[in-house]
Amino acid sequence: MLEIRQLKKMYGRTAAVDGLDMNVREGALYGFVGPNGAGKTTTIKILTGLLLPDGGSVVIGGEDAVAAPRKVVEKIGYVPDFFGVYDNLKVSEYMELFAACYGLYGLNARRRIMDLLGQAGLEEKEDYYVDGLSRGMKQRLCLARALIHNPPILIMDEPTAGLDPGTRYEFKEILKDLREQEKTVVISSHILSELSEICTDIGIVEQGKMVLEGTMEEILEQINVQSPLLISVYRNREKALDILRSHPYVETITIRQNDIMAGFTGDGEDEALLLQQLLDAGVMICGFMRERGNLESVFMQITSRDEGRVLIREN
Amino acid sequence: MKINPVYRQETKVSARSFRLPLVILVCNSVLALAGLLDMYFMVSQVKATAEIQYSGFLSLYLFVAAIEFTMLLLIVPALTAGSISGERERQTLNLLLTTPMTAGDIVAGKLTASLSTVFLLIISSFPILSLVFIYGGVTAADIAMVLFCFSSTALLASCIGLCCSCVFKKTTMATAVSYCVMAVLVFGTFALSSFISSFGKAPGQRGSSGTGPCWLLLGNPAASFAMIIKKQVGGSRTVPVLLTLPYGMTEYGWVMISMTVQILMAVLCLWIAVRRVNPRRKKGWKM
Repeated sequence: MLEIRQLKKMYGRTAAVDGLDMNVREGALYGFVGPNGAGKTTTIKILTGLLLPDGGSVVIGGEDAVAAPRKVVEKIGYVPDFFGVYDNLKVSEYMELFAACYGLYGLNARRRIMDLLGQAGLEEKEDYYVDGLSRGMKQRLCLARALIHNPPILIMDEPTAGLDPGTRYEFKEILKDLREQEKTVVISSHILSELSEICTDIGIVEQGKMVLEGTMEEILEQINVQSPLLISVYRNREKALDILRSHPYVETITIRQNDIMAGFTGDGEDEALLLQQLLDAGVMICGFMRERGNLESVFMQITSRDEGRVLIREN
Repeated sequence: MKINPVYRQETKVSARSFRLPLVILVCNSVLALAGLLDMYFMVSQVKATAEIQYSGFLSLYLFVAAIEFTMLLLIVPALTAGSISGERERQTLNLLLTTPMTAGDIVAGKLTASLSTVFLLIISSFPILSLVFIYGGVTAADIAMVLFCFSSTALLASCIGLCCSCVFKKTTMATAVSYCVMAVLVFGTFALSSFISSFGKAPGQRGSSGTGPCWLLLGNPAASFAMIIKKQVGGSRTVPVLLTLPYGMTEYGWVMISMTVQILMAVLCLWIAVRRVNPRRKKGWKM
């Protein structure tokens, strides 16, 4: 649905985007993640036709976005990291303006506007001035505006920035609805916990390059996060601690109520042997698993300046 | 008929705002006051001297037209200087540019919206300008010529304001530069023309008989207006002679050339404006 190859954009002598590759499959909810200055907003501006790249190719829905940007604008909806609303317009007038920009007039436009305002929970606010809306409502209005021409791809740049948790939750629910409508959504955000809950695919960008990309499952599998072993002991905790202290692969031990967290450097077979050893010693265990790596830990490892801490297993 | 969405939105907002009727009310009040006072003094003079000087009544026309022209020069740049920079400040320009609207569509929408306001102002003042018909001396064709001059001036001033609005990111800066450009165009070219023509005069020679470079004033809307009024009212007592026309050229001939030049200047400003709004243009200067 969206394919970027060797994208380059220079600001003076600084490379904002430096050979970025990106592939977003149809119907994916793609989390575009990276630290500040990584090139996310520049990439999004190129995708939306607001910037001309210095090199590379961008294909959106089969159309070359660099050579024929006018063909691509119909296929994308853009929600920027600011509200971008006219304070002196009413909600319905604001929507009518953008409907007219896409050639929607009259009854067709009216139906579409009421439908979208209903989806965004703003149907009762259609006669309110945009100025009088809360931040959350303005953001939902922006989302409704981006969907006015029913685009197959929605590109969102930090859409939940500055919103309270309640509004972020509502926004997340709207995104889930969009996924059910089989829209392809590219969302850039710093709130990784949110992205990991809703995204199907993730791309992590740093210094203008894509450093990791794939489905959530693929990414979590690729990362050797060296997560600790979580051992829930029902009885004989002291015995379990003795065994762990003397085990050659256990580097650290942290006790958290009935759980023991052990920094364990062994592989799957070593884990099984340790479990057997504990059971043979009469330790009653009700939980034994590695703590799951999450997007935040992946992000921190990937974007860390300390190269030695990058723990991606080579395929 | 599909109307430019930007034009429709701008006119809707301006029609709803308090500013438009206020501007029309103030401008027409000033013109009406000037016209009625002039009439009053003329009639008083007739009563006092028992003489009717019809040429005096023409000063009513001159007075009202000059005030209206000055108001246009003062109001129009302010109307357009914030049009694109305001969109940038509201962060709505990028949203419009991600729609099928082109930079040209956006600039055209802004220009037509501001011209609509200006033309409303010009048309609404027409009855005051027509006060001169009570006494005669000016034909409907003369008034049409003045209105044409007003229109071309409004177009040039709008395009200069719009161009500055596209070049400068802040509305205050765009407005200030628009007025500076208008001042250079109106006063600067006249000063330069006078300075150059002073070299061509004989020692001790005064007045306008020196051959001033009239081409310098072709882009000056005030020069066009003054030339039209001079042709209609006549005489150098009422209208200062700004330039000496080349041999064989009539006043209206020069006016037509100057208005063409001004319209071309407006087109150039529009071209710069569209180029500056287009986000995909090749690298240019930044302000």
